[in-house]
This record gives sequence, C-alpha cells and structure tokens, in this order.
Amino acid sequence: MSEVTRDLIGDHFLDLWSKTRARKPESDEEEEELPTELDPDSIAGGFAVVGPDRLSVRYPNVSLHDHDAGVVKANHAAPMKRMIYYFEIFVQNEGAKGRITVGFTTSAFNAHRQPGWEESTFGYNADDGLFYNGQTSREAFPTFTAGDTVGAGINYATRNFFFTLNGVMVAFFDKDIKGPVFPSVSVHSHFEEVLVNFGQRGFAFDLKAYEAEERFIIEEKIGDRVSVPQNADHGIVRSYLQHYGYGETLKHLDISLQSIMPSISAAPEDGASEEDTMYAFNQRRTLRQLINSGKIDETFSTLGMWYPQIIEGDSSVICFMLHCQKFIELVRDEKIADALWYGKSELAKFMNSSAFGDIAKDCSALLAYGQPKECFVGYLLGDSQRELVADAVNATILSTNPNMKDGSLCKYPALERLIQQVTACSLEKRSLKGGEGEAFRLSRHLNSTYKA
Amino acid sequence: MSLFWIVIRELAEIQAMATSKKVITRVEWEKKLNDVKVRKDDMNKLVMNFLVTEGYVEVAEKFRLESGTEPEIDLATITDRMAVKKAVQSGNVEDAIEKVNDLNPEILDTNPLLFFHLQQQRMIELIRNGKVEAALEFAQEELAPRGEENQSFLEELERTVALLAFEDVANCPVSELLDISQRLKTATEVNAAILTSQSHEKDPKLPSLLKMLIWVQNQLDKKASYPRINDISTAALEDSVV
Repeated sequence: MSEVTRDLIGDHFLDLWSKTRARKPESDEEEEELPTELDPDSIAGGFAVVGPDRLSVRYPNVSLHDHDAGVVKANHAAPMKRMIYYFEIFVQNEGAKGRITVGFTTSAFNAHRQPGWEESTFGYNADDGLFYNGQTSREAFPTFTAGDTVGAGINYATRNFFFTLNGVMVAFFDKDIKGPVFPSVSVHSHFEEVLVNFGQRGFAFDLKAYEAEERFIIEEKIGDRVSVPQNADHGIVRSYLQHYGYGETLKHLDISLQSIMPSISAAPEDGASEEDTMYAFNQRRTLRQLINSGKIDETFSTLGMWYPQIIEGDSSVICFMLHCQKFIELVRDEKIADALWYGKSELAKFMNSSAFGDIAKDCSALLAYGQPKECFVGYLLGDSQRELVADAVNATILSTNPNMKDGSLCKYPALERLIQQVTACSLEKRSLKGGEGEAFRLSRHLNSTYKA
Repeated sequence: MSLFWIVIRELAEIQAMATSKKVITRVEWEKKLNDVKVRKDDMNKLVMNFLVTEGYVEVAEKFRLESGTEPEIDLATITDRMAVKKAVQSGNVEDAIEKVNDLNPEILDTNPLLFFHLQQQRMIELIRNGKVEAALEFAQEELAPRGEENQSFLEELERTVALLAFEDVANCPVSELLDISQRLKTATEVNAAILTSQSHEKDPKLPSLLKMLIWVQNQLDKKASYPRINDISTAALEDSVV
C-alpha cells in the first residue's frame, strides 16, 4: 500500500508510545472534580460553623425559630460520570433536638433550611426519619442519633438517591433533580455536631460490594435480552491470533476446536477477511519472534530481504522504532559503550525532529541512570516495549497487502474494533443522556468480579 | 428520479426529523473510534481469559509463551474442569457427575437445575443407545421425583420421555434433544457452574463484552444515527440507513 498509509500506521504506534510515556488519566472519569471537604462559604446566615479541617460542622447558636437551620454544602458537586457517588456523615453529637439532615442540594439552593424542605433538594432527617423532597414527606424510616453513621448516595444507573444507616441500605428514591447536586448537611439545634467523610476514610457501608452487585444486575439484564451469534467469540479470538501472528497459539486452538466444533475452523464465513488476516502470516510471525528475542539486527536484515520498502530511506517511524529498540537492547545487555556509539550514529538524526525528538530523548535518558529499570524511563526495558515494536512491524507488513480493502484494518484486529465501538457507543449514549452514569471501560470490565 | 422514489426519500427525511435523532457521519464516528485507545495487554488479557474459561489449557500455555501474558489462575486447575466438560461432550454423564462431586460436592447440591439437566442428559444417552427399559426406569426413579418438586423440571421431563413415544426419533418434535448441541449445552452449563464455585476464577469476559456491544448499539439507535457493527465476526462498520 501507499507511503501515506504506512505513515498513518507509524503515527498510530508512535501515538500509543507517547501515551505510555505521558501516563495520562485513562478516561474522563478521572478528570471530574470531586467533593473533598465542606465549603464554609456555602453557609447562608451563619447558622453553621465548619471545623478547621473542613470535615466537620456544628450549630453555633441557640435557635429561636424552626427556620434557622445551618446548611453547608461540599466544595464540589457530586461527580456524574460514574455509576454511583456516595458519602457518609457521623453524628458526633445529636444536640438539643437531634434535627440533623443529610442529603443533596443544587447550587442554586441558598436558604437556611434543611435539605429536603425545598424543592430540588433531598434529605434524610435524624429526628423523624422522614425523607424530604420539596415538600413531600414520605413514610417514616429509622431515626438516627449520636454514634450513628449515615450515608447518602446517587445511583446514576437506576436514577435513584439512596441512604444508608450504619452500613445498611435504608431506602432509595427516584432522583428527578436534573443537573449537578451537592452533598449537603444541615444542623438545626444547639450542640449538634457532625463529621463528614468524602471517602478519605473507609465507609461503614460496603460501597464496592454494592457497585459490583449493581453492575452484575445490569449485566444479567442485558444477558437476558440479547443473544450473540453462536461461536462469534471463537471467530474473534482466531482473527486476533491471525492478525498478530501468534502462530503456535492459533495452531493449538484449531486443534482443540476441531474435536469440538468441526464447523468453526474449516470454512470461515467470510473467506475474504480470512485472507486479509492471514496475509504474510509466517513472515509476520517470524519477525515477531525475532523482535521478542531482542534480535534487532536480524530484524533489519530480514525486513530488508522481504519488505525492503518498509525500511527504505531509514527515516520512517518503523525505522525509528527499530533503531530505538536496538539501542534499548544494548542497554539491557549492559553494553553501554556500544549503546553510546549506536545512539550517536543511528539515533542522533532523529533527535531534532519534532515528531521523534521527545521519545528519542527518553531512550538516551536510559544511559544517565545506574539502575535504569527503576527510573521513569524504565518502561523502555520491559517486554511491553518489544511488543509495541513487534505490533508496529506487524501492522506495517499487513499494509503491504495489495488486496487490502480497508487500510485501517492493518492497525486494528476485529476485537479491537469491537472494543472501540462499544466504548464509543457507550460514551455517546451517556452524552446524549445528560452526561450521567458510567461508560464502558475495558480495564474495569476485565477486573470486575461478582459472586452471586 | 421517479416520483415514487422522491416521495420515499421525503418520507424518510420527515421520519428522521420526527424522531429527531442526532446524525453522526462516518468520518466523525471513525474519529471517535480512533480516539479510544485500547491497550494491547488488556486485549491479551481478554483473550487469555477466554482460553482459560473455555478450558483450552495447551492453547493458553502457548499464548502465554507467544504473548507474554500471564493467566489469572494456575493452568493445572483447568484440567480437572476440562475432564468434566469432555465427559459430558462424549456422553459419559455418570462419569462427569462423579468427577464434579470429586472436585466439589457442593456444586451439584447448590445447583438443582444443573443436576436435573445432567440427569436428563443421562436419560437421553440411554435412549440414544436403545436402552429403553433402563431409560424408563431411570425416569421413574431419578427424574420424576425432581419433576414433582419443580414445574419446569416436569415439562422438561415430559419432553424427554416423549422421545420414547416416536418410532422415527430423528424427525419427531423433540429430536433436538438427541442432537450433539444438547450435549454441548449441558457441558457449557457444568463448565460455568464449576467456574463459579472456584472462588479465584473470573467469569468469561468476552461473551459479556459482545452482549454489551449489541445492547448498547440497540440503545443508541433510539437516539442517534451512526455507523453500526452488524457483523460481529468481521467488526465491519456499516453506514446506517436513514
């Protein structure tokens, strides 16, 4: 295929490399501001006093009217780009009348009334255990007093507010308030004092278990409503192995499948795509093995024999990556003098380029450290770096396929496209739904475990 | 262009406006896709998880060597589970049940539905081998009591017994019970139950990911028009038809 495609492929892998260096947060969920403390400026009328650590609040004066509640909000609104948000309070002192209320209010809320008394606010009250929302009070729930831990949370998946008492779920209600809401606490009589926990300490309520349970319920629901074509997963795994040239694995998988499902490995449904993924399979496999063993010189000579167009000119991204890897391998083998010489003769020409300069500097930084593995560029010495280079070479060879219909297929095996699609759809769905809730994330999906 | 097609197109456009779906072009969508950076080692983990939960031990071993991915559990523990799966797939249900109980007697105790399906499979195998009398006796002694406890078991039992009523089993309404796929179904069920009972196991991630994809596309269809993946095995993007 054309030079242009090859450059695009090269850029893609260079980009992946940059992302590893930068260690950017994985997703936008990590970029939202979180409530971390109480905001004294949010108190209207001075009917509450926040402690110096901003994690406690108490009522200052003897109240005269029922109206004079001291309400304080957290410094940030509850984050929305997740499935559940939760915080807890601990009642240090129930005071004269025990009228503490905990819940959520909007940024517009600015009165000295308990969360819940006004519309668009929601609160759980210590005194009568009633939840307030606007002006509707509901059936009574347990009251709380000194020594109790009360939690308030938002479940974006089910669109509920929920409340817990001493680690046990008490109730949940429809959340029909739109827009950001602030964790809020109010105190209403002399001596009332409350400590707040925004997650800096462990919670009494097992939030992780609750999250896992909710995710499981959602997955079960989906599982019931949706069916996947038979053996689709086997086909996807095979094409993944073909794409990356994992020959031994593929061979053994086909052997295993033969005995169970003769139909699967015999004739794939789409003959054309199988040709694409199997293109130059043995060559790609050989080159991967060479790179994984650190034999970069041989990699260069083999490429020169089979695909000279890839390394022609010695200036492409692939050449750059291979030269870097050669350098890295020399450092690995502790051949420092050789590495220095190699760096000067082969890497130097890349140093001034805007595209490669920063990365090349990472490589040369390896020489500066006595224990290169432990420094910030230590990742270069790992197997994953070899794998990155092998993947780049793999994709570039795939791009030389004259029958290749879709250039982007060189970069991505079907599995990757599926993951991208489910992530993109999930993000789009969330943004069309007011930006609330958690979107699909592969790393979370991989780590979730739940025992029913 | 004929009047007919002009009208069709107008109607389609009115339809699109009426449902007011957001339209995302191919180019825009490809950019969103490319912005999702998938880590190679996450994909490797997904594949390894697949191989391990399906029980392909040698394949997992090869994959570990070729890709450097570590399996989440000790591969040796998979062989026990695979022995059970193979026994069911070859129709040796009694052997499979014995092996499951050797692994963990609680599995069948806590899974009445699974146990019933295994017993049902046993009966199917007896019928397949022409041991009609033994099959009937088995049904009366082992399956009927279960059927009395549970309505849906009873229905399944009746379906299985029905096999005996037909001369031409291959063409009767319940012939699918004799099919290999029925054995596979039971084998998958047993496999899943063993996986669940082994507390250090993780559940199969790839199938749930695929389901999630189908589901989220269906959900997004209600609000937007965008390129879909309709064929999971090729993952090819198809432009949506308005």
